[in-house]
Amino acid sequence: MSLLDKLKKIGHRETGIRDFCIQTIRFKKFLENARALLDLFADGREKVLGEYIFDRHYVVTLIDSVVDRLGRMVYDASVLVPESGEELYAAYDRHKLAARNLIGSTPSAADDAVDPEYRLLSDVLKWFQGTENTGNISVMEFMRQTFFHVIQGLESNDAMTRNQALFDKNGLHASDMGIYVIDLWKDALSPPSENRSIRDFNSIPLRHLFMDSGNGDLEKAGPKANQHTAAWVAAVSEYQLSLTTLKPNFRFRLETLASGYEPSDFIFIFAGPNAPLDKIIPDGFHVERTNYGQFAWSLSITAKTIEDTLMIIGRNLFDESVRRMQ
Amino acid sequence: MARSLEVLLLDDEPIVGRRLKPALDKIGCQVEVFENPKEAVARIDQKEFDIVVTDIRMEEMDGIAVLEHVQKKWPRTKVILITGYAKMDLAREAMGKGVFDFIAKPFRPDDLRRIIASAAEALGMPIDAASPNDETVAE
Repeated sequence: MSLLDKLKKIGHRETGIRDFCIQTIRFKKFLENARALLDLFADGREKVLGEYIFDRHYVVTLIDSVVDRLGRMVYDASVLVPESGEELYAAYDRHKLAARNLIGSTPSAADDAVDPEYRLLSDVLKWFQGTENTGNISVMEFMRQTFFHVIQGLESNDAMTRNQALFDKNGLHASDMGIYVIDLWKDALSPPSENRSIRDFNSIPLRHLFMDSGNGDLEKAGPKANQHTAAWVAAVSEYQLSLTTLKPNFRFRLETLASGYEPSDFIFIFAGPNAPLDKIIPDGFHVERTNYGQFAWSLSITAKTIEDTLMIIGRNLFDESVRRMQ
Repeated sequence: MARSLEVLLLDDEPIVGRRLKPALDKIGCQVEVFENPKEAVARIDQKEFDIVVTDIRMEEMDGIAVLEHVQKKWPRTKVILITGYAKMDLAREAMGKGVFDFIAKPFRPDDLRRIIASAAEALGMPIDAASPNDETVAE
């Protein structure tokens, strides 16, 4: 039974539960809309590079879709962090204006060698991703800022305390949430200068996961969690895979957004060299071992399975790690 | 020596003719490009093309009307419709009216070349859809 189902059983009359349900749904939608925007960008890039035949209608539809999804993302964000709503909507209005200007723009005759449809799509991609010459922030940068607002808002002390009290009161575990946002290290190419405290993990679900491994005691769980991060296992979908070159003493950066909403047909799992990966992953995974770690991957598997697998693997590894340290 | 495949290409978006004509020339088609449906229909009245490739949505005359005109005048001619992705219902209607095939924008020239090759085969005039300059096909 999902966390939301459990909460529904408890009842919607309690304000805290109602707020938490709304936040969870909106956060899932927020991730879904962000993912849809990234897919739109990828589609535009593919078309502009791939010698496609397309018309102006395709480009205009692409712009409309971006504006629509961006609006939904801002709405989700403003529900999650109402105090940022005004600022986010003001920025969104600027992007809507930029979109209207793009649609209404007349192709210049400066470069007759390039089809006007390709030129327009190229301008749209600049709006998505920004260029060095533009003063306005790109859609992508706006998405990053919006995400930052949401994460900061959700991780405010008040929100953490409120959610933890709600969980404690109703005997719930964060691992039931089905949303995992994991960011172990910021920079894939440089190892962290020092171990990050559990308080530094910018993810409520991850913190709760660590807390679970330490029997709910945040302070006691911290050092254990820190020692364990090098062997931490994460599963990522094809699009969120962020794993670079293997080098001696290299620490992996694993980053995943597994909302449980978007189906995925490819996942990838990394584990430390001593993790009992064979025993804890579902059938159908192909496992490779290197001196620095183990890799497993599987085709045709959904994001829900990623979350379930992540939860099982995490718990197994933490349990084992805790036993070894005792 | 077998004669070339005669293709009429009609789309009111200039990019289509500009990009497709060279792609079809490469596989040995004789291509005439039109942006105005009425001019295209006038040309169809004069000449029997093997294949007519037409956009489905145009201002003066839509692709379904062009299809019906071709079928009435030259029943042997194969008609291929180009459609925007939001117009699949029209494409289905066209299938019921005997269109050979349709292709949705955005598409790659190779995608259309494959359909044209298939139409050519149906006409008993098989062609190689791979461009002689296409290195990936030459492997």
